[in-house]
Amino acid sequence: MSTDHNFSVVGKSLPRSDARIKAVGAAQYADDIFLPGMLYGKLLRSPVAHALIKSIDTSAAEALPGVKCVITGQDIPKIKYGNWRLVPESQDEFALAIDKVRFIGDEVAAVAALDKDSAEEAIRLIKVEYEELPGAYSVEESLADNAPVIHDEYKQDIPNISLDRKIEYGNIDKAFAEADLILDDHFTVHAVSHAYMEPCSCVAEYDHDGRLTIWTSTQAPYFVQCLLASTMEMRENDIRVIKPFVGGGFGGKMEMRPWEFCAAFMARKIGRPVKFTLTREEELATGRRRHPMNIHSKIAFSKDGMILGKEFIVHLDGGAYNSMGPTACFLCGNFGAMLYNYPNYRYYGAHVYTNKPPAGAMRGFGAPQALFVAETQMNMAAEKLGLDPVDIRLMNAMESGDEIPGVATISSCGFKESLIKVAEMTNWREKRKNLKPGQGLGLGCYSFISGGVFNWFNTRYNFTRAEVRAFDDGTVHLMTMASDIGQGSDTVLRQILAEELGLKISDIRLTAADTAVTPQADLGTWGSRVTLMAGNAVRKAAQEIKEELFKMVSLKFDLNVIHDMRCGNGNIYPANRPDRAVSFGDAVKMAQRANRGEPIIGYGSYTPRNKGLVTPAFSFGAQVAECEVDQETGAIEVKFMTTAHDCGTPINPMSVEGQLEGSVHMGLGYALSEQFIMKEGKTLTTTFLDYKIPCAEDMPPGVSVHVDTYEPDGPFGAKEAGEGLVSPTAPAIADAVYNATGFRCMDLPLTPQRLLAGMKKI
Amino acid sequence: MTLPQFKFLMPTSLREACALLEKHQGKIKIKAGGTDMIVRLSHRAVKPDFLMTVKKIPDLDGINYSPKGGLTIGALALLREVETSPLVLEHAPMLARAARATATVQIRNMGTVMGNVCNASPSADNIPTLVAMNARIVAASGSDEREIPIDEFFLGPGRSALQANEIAVAIKVPTLAAGSGVSYQKISPRSKVDIAAVNIGALVTLDETGKCRAVRISMGAVGPTPLRATQAEEFLLGKEITDATLAEAGRLAAEDASPITDVRASREYRKLMVEVLTTRALKEAAGFASGQSSIAE
Repeated sequence: MSTDHNFSVVGKSLPRSDARIKAVGAAQYADDIFLPGMLYGKLLRSPVAHALIKSIDTSAAEALPGVKCVITGQDIPKIKYGNWRLVPESQDEFALAIDKVRFIGDEVAAVAALDKDSAEEAIRLIKVEYEELPGAYSVEESLADNAPVIHDEYKQDIPNISLDRKIEYGNIDKAFAEADLILDDHFTVHAVSHAYMEPCSCVAEYDHDGRLTIWTSTQAPYFVQCLLASTMEMRENDIRVIKPFVGGGFGGKMEMRPWEFCAAFMARKIGRPVKFTLTREEELATGRRRHPMNIHSKIAFSKDGMILGKEFIVHLDGGAYNSMGPTACFLCGNFGAMLYNYPNYRYYGAHVYTNKPPAGAMRGFGAPQALFVAETQMNMAAEKLGLDPVDIRLMNAMESGDEIPGVATISSCGFKESLIKVAEMTNWREKRKNLKPGQGLGLGCYSFISGGVFNWFNTRYNFTRAEVRAFDDGTVHLMTMASDIGQGSDTVLRQILAEELGLKISDIRLTAADTAVTPQADLGTWGSRVTLMAGNAVRKAAQEIKEELFKMVSLKFDLNVIHDMRCGNGNIYPANRPDRAVSFGDAVKMAQRANRGEPIIGYGSYTPRNKGLVTPAFSFGAQVAECEVDQETGAIEVKFMTTAHDCGTPINPMSVEGQLEGSVHMGLGYALSEQFIMKEGKTLTTTFLDYKIPCAEDMPPGVSVHVDTYEPDGPFGAKEAGEGLVSPTAPAIADAVYNATGFRCMDLPLTPQRLLAGMKKI
Repeated sequence: MTLPQFKFLMPTSLREACALLEKHQGKIKIKAGGTDMIVRLSHRAVKPDFLMTVKKIPDLDGINYSPKGGLTIGALALLREVETSPLVLEHAPMLARAARATATVQIRNMGTVMGNVCNASPSADNIPTLVAMNARIVAASGSDEREIPIDEFFLGPGRSALQANEIAVAIKVPTLAAGSGVSYQKISPRSKVDIAAVNIGALVTLDETGKCRAVRISMGAVGPTPLRATQAEEFLLGKEITDATLAEAGRLAAEDASPITDVRASREYRKLMVEVLTTRALKEAAGFASGQSSIAE
């Protein structure tokens, strides 16, 4: 932390405000909510990957005792939805399939019944006649001549490419012509599951006044409110979305989803609350996932190791619908040009439909894929040019003030410091020389965004907003639609507010993420936006309060206008006369009197403006993996992970540490063991027995340090922490394995089987 | 996912349990720890009319040892108990290793070794060592009790030699001959806490000259039942344990394995792993047999 910033609450490892309630098991998640008369919903999903629906017969299901409602695509408004409201033709989903199904798991019908057993039984009684169509299960199959067209009503220049993006600056052809070294490689990266601990769940209720209330496990209450309104043909103000405790999201809960629609629609239709809770099998077999990609990356170097340019061609295997694919397609192009200065760059990204469960947003949002490729190629180039992987990175590393033409300017940047630090901590140069057979050391780096700038949701509101009400007992109430889904934002926002107002965290009450109560609007929790964007809004709201209270203190002590005023220790005082202090509560009381009873309320909003196309602030970091490989079995053991990263000011270092450990865990699974094994669109790994998330015992020990920077655009110097760090782990481990075995992994995951095949043993 | 409907039976004596089995033959499933059965029920992999727990039957727990009878592991002995039992650690430490290789400590505190055996999954952690050590399964019916050699116990995935009216009550593990050693080796797609893609149990008995006097090799997850590596066993008999003979035994074991490709591993990978793990298991077992290494679990 910068020494000239003396914080009293920010920068402290305070316990999470939700720690106790979660530890004692009292936190209420959506599935813990039981309303009088509540029914249980269940979805019928398509068993075929691509087919026309010829007929649906729901009569037997409707006749089953206990069944109160059965709906199909024929019963709902024919309104498509999707998060990319800015491009309406990209909105390609119906809540229940109409005429056609496009993946195994596509939602076809829904029932609501008195109990779960009846709901499940009713689903089995619905008869659907399908006329199967040929399917396309990979980018290659979807782009082949005569490939089946997955969305035929949606006009596309190239069939099955729903959207593409081009970025170009400099003169890439000239860069290749002048290069001393060109690496021209193909990579494939795979899909993985968010595997949040809490499967999706919601309860919807429609009251006699015509208001719909839904408690739902979501990262973005505002998105759910808007998209329910459009698909249900209701007004936004008639819909109240409440986020209860949420057990993780990682990008998988940032869209309105069919069960939310079906719960709401059936609740309105029959006047009883309806709950849906997905099973883990549904989540794994049909849920959103990280985009698999085919990546062709061609990069040019001078012989002394300077990057001259890069051409980056990415085909995203998007599955059957756009979901958040367009964003991943855009960001992948940005991440492909991050970390290093690429004077010449050309990107082409295409989002390709396939007959598979749609991929969506997932921790890193295009970065884990782009950076696996970029970092692997940096390691390859270092070897070919006879340079240390740390040195080639230092030569090319971005630094504060660097510009990505037309895209972004790097404000704070601790990348070089991170590289130097991680090399020191691991004794990198010495250790690399003294590796035994089967031992390897590998390096991977990352950069990530602190929230997005591009308004694809086409919100009419500011990106975040906060309301702070001050009370004469010295407490305040913070209201925000920012959504804590387990990442700790409720605690962090309280820390920011406490710091700004000179209060203790216990002086702050918080109400969050209820669209009927908390200020419109907030785009939700994704893209590492909450700390920076909601944090800035909270500070601004607090500053309004402060201005009001400063007047009172000034009046009371008849202070000269030149006095600088401070909040601290629950008091308000002139900076150089702390003896002339008024307690926060008394100042509120005075202000309220002065305002003839009006409550003291501050409002703050934040929308990034003039911050380029991507984000207001970038985080950076470097990570070293130490691995041991059993060369006979291909088993890879990660022995130690060392991380140095720049997240600006860590508002709560303990929370940041938790994020980093979680990132390593997710990165480990991405690198080594997690995968959806599929056969013609059917997911075969539908339980945690076969979908291999690393267990606690698989977690390597590790250490991480913060590099000291201060982000001018962030609250108290803070920026992104934890999401970006999911990216360096796979390339670091793959590089360590290369150094241990000589096998350069260019296709994830790096399973023992793939390693042995690469070592020509099978 | 909800459980299907069934009637729950909770006999408090072996006699009562056997009578219930007799009465509801073919419509009843037995549950001990429930760590497999409850999952199979909720997935509708089994749909019994009756689910009978054996947890309330006295005298089915416990781990005993006598020099003559060897080790007896009761049907209700938890995986965790076998893993930590001083008797097991002293007389058959590889059974403890196999128990510890099973799932997580939470599951081991619920599940039983017998349940793992009776479930008859080809990849079960606790089977290969029991096969290597030539264990016997004690099965009780109404009036009778019989011992089933473990080589005859497994008929296919999920199918054992237990009759519809029988309950498996104990596992008997004979005392090893002097100069014997055992090993358990396992590989799985994830490094730890995972179902085996291949597992190997091996017993080696050496004579005074260091030649192989007896050998039993059991291969898991490479066939519908645990398979014996008979070619490798025959090859090793009478031979010295050297790197060359071990390598050849591994190769022969891989020949005897008939794995399939599934989501956990490919056929080719499993074959190679049989070779590697058999060699390692034999080497470790021979090390124990010769007294050159001792187990530190």
